[in-house]
Amino acid sequence: MEFKPTIVSFLCNWCSYTGADLAGTSRMKYSPNVRVIRVMCSGRVDPTFVLSAFEEGADGVLICGCHPGDCHYHEGNYKCLRRYHLLQKYLQQMGINKDRLRLAWISASEGKQFAELANEASETITALGPCEIKKSIETLA
Amino acid sequence: MEEKRIGVYVCWCGTNIAKMVDVERVAEEVGKLPNVVISKNYKYMCSDPGQELIVKDIKEHNLNRVVVSACSPRIHELTFRKALQNAGLNPYMFEMANIREQVSWVHEDREEATKKAKALVTGAIARVAYHEALDKRTVEINPASLVIGAGISGLTAALEIADAGKQVFLLEKEAQLGGHTANVELTFPYMIPARQILDPKIKRVENHPNVEVLKKAEIDEIFGYIGNFNADIKVNGDSRKLEFGNIIVATGLKPFDPSSVDLHGYGKLPNVVTSIEFEKMLQSGKIETKDGREPKNIAIIHCVGSRNNDYHEYCSRTCCMLGLKFANQTRTALPDSNIYEIYADMRSFGKGCEELYTETSKRDIMFLNFDQREGIPQITKAHPGDCCEMLIEMKERLSNTNIEVPADMVILLVGMEAREDAKEVAHHVGVSKCGNDFFIERHPKLDPVATTTDGVYIIGSCQGPKDITDSVAQSRAAAARILACITQGTVEVELTTAVVNEDLCCGCQTCVNVCPYTAISFDEEKSVSVVNEILCKGCGTCGSACPTGAIRSRHFTDQQILSQIKGIMSTEMTEV
Repeated sequence: MEFKPTIVSFLCNWCSYTGADLAGTSRMKYSPNVRVIRVMCSGRVDPTFVLSAFEEGADGVLICGCHPGDCHYHEGNYKCLRRYHLLQKYLQQMGINKDRLRLAWISASEGKQFAELANEASETITALGPCEIKKSIETLA
Repeated sequence: MEEKRIGVYVCWCGTNIAKMVDVERVAEEVGKLPNVVISKNYKYMCSDPGQELIVKDIKEHNLNRVVVSACSPRIHELTFRKALQNAGLNPYMFEMANIREQVSWVHEDREEATKKAKALVTGAIARVAYHEALDKRTVEINPASLVIGAGISGLTAALEIADAGKQVFLLEKEAQLGGHTANVELTFPYMIPARQILDPKIKRVENHPNVEVLKKAEIDEIFGYIGNFNADIKVNGDSRKLEFGNIIVATGLKPFDPSSVDLHGYGKLPNVVTSIEFEKMLQSGKIETKDGREPKNIAIIHCVGSRNNDYHEYCSRTCCMLGLKFANQTRTALPDSNIYEIYADMRSFGKGCEELYTETSKRDIMFLNFDQREGIPQITKAHPGDCCEMLIEMKERLSNTNIEVPADMVILLVGMEAREDAKEVAHHVGVSKCGNDFFIERHPKLDPVATTTDGVYIIGSCQGPKDITDSVAQSRAAAARILACITQGTVEVELTTAVVNEDLCCGCQTCVNVCPYTAISFDEEKSVSVVNEILCKGCGTCGSACPTGAIRSRHFTDQQILSQIKGIMSTEMTEV
């Protein structure tokens, strides 16, 4: 059967979630494997959330926040960026390809960019194939 | 612990959702999940009968949690929270799954869309199971208001509020009041002198007992929330503190700088002027070239910087009428001149505007049309011996011929753009900007002057290019909103703030450092962090930085989000 990845994405309420909504109101079509979770700020994305998504079987994780300098809470996106770099390193140590996690900036007016990002992420993760970490954990347990 | 009794409602949104998502199947399948007591699908959940259905079920089935799977929570979350409240439930025992903007409108495979919708609803059900009742805090409204910018919009709004007996701080960056309107001679379409509109307002504002005018003022920082803002500002270099309950942003626009449009030669050819420069000539009463001659051939070029993907995609909405106004004024001042109106499309949509177009077209003015997609008119210096100073090369669309238009003066109708300081202003007041840096309204149709930050309103051209008529209408609308808020006296604010579990806090103070609002302080005695609920805006960044999990971001707790992730990932669709 053809592999269709599941991508959990965390979108900040002010820019990215609104941007994703705009893709909808503009009726732009994109790949259906992105599942959105709304947070107030990308700074709220606890590394645990990302790890948990992989643990639950996600093949990819996408975090979207406001563009640098545009954060509704001034600098939450910068905090997110720092954690993201650390987290990518950590993922590799756990045997998860770092490209399975992606951070992108989507503003409230970037519906088109969100749709394109969803497609791109979907292509990247499809090429990487299923994430085996859930299975590994189950085997170990 | 009380038993969790969840009601799930899957909306059709007419055919908007139902066409792409098998709503009946989603409702049926999620109905089998633990804690779900009832699961229904309905044509329009946001309609009165839809909401009554929820209220009735809550009472009949003793529900204590509700999930509505419909449009974006940005549209109807509050609607449904109110429904819960009407049924006596805490409004936060609610979660929404967005299966319209983020499912049915963006996908084309019904099976895949249905699968995704089910996953999202399952996530919402898993999340709502961990929702907890939150209190709302009622806060008093400070009856004073801050208006930022004293152009026609700011002046109008300030007077409207002040006339109702409430105090206004009117803050202006410049030394003079009036903004761009002060640089206009006559206004279209009725040719009313701008000063006749503006001067009485300025005079009234300056002498109004309820308005404090702060010129040469700038904002250092604004703190607080609806009803209770305060600001550090500088007036003429001196620091001051202000307290107010609501904010109107009326920071206006910046005219497009045509230097970047090479083909128009602005800055190189002396008699290529902008609409603003021409307006000054009109104010001074003399239309003349740089060397003091009366121009014989005058060309007015439309859409400079507007409706052109190289500059701005949007229409600046006022230039067409301004061009017609110029043609009229020039015709009156220089009856023997040749006037060329070089336009891309004539947009005369306002009241009295099409009439102005009709009238202008009867005054011996040559209308020449160009197609933006095939290039903009190119202005060059004329050859020695030509009867004019410049030549405008263009492809005239209606006759489909390449022509040269003689010109001694060219007026560029420059568009409007967002001000360079829009970003700073947006930060100060907490509003978002669109791709063109104009501020974003809460809802483009239903709430055009409010923003997603309670107590902050946007009026005039800082929200998008606008004429005086529309700016004034917006100003009065925002003033009315604020007066309604002041009349209420109090407002309920959300308490989705962070809270520290003192037993778990290790005193590392990581949260103190990451908080962008200095809302977290450290209690030396207890050796724990303390959140100031008034200052906390609920971004949750402390929650994700806390190494011990001592910080709970209310309504976005770790447990709620982790549970949502689990829910989203748990779904396997029953094959049909």
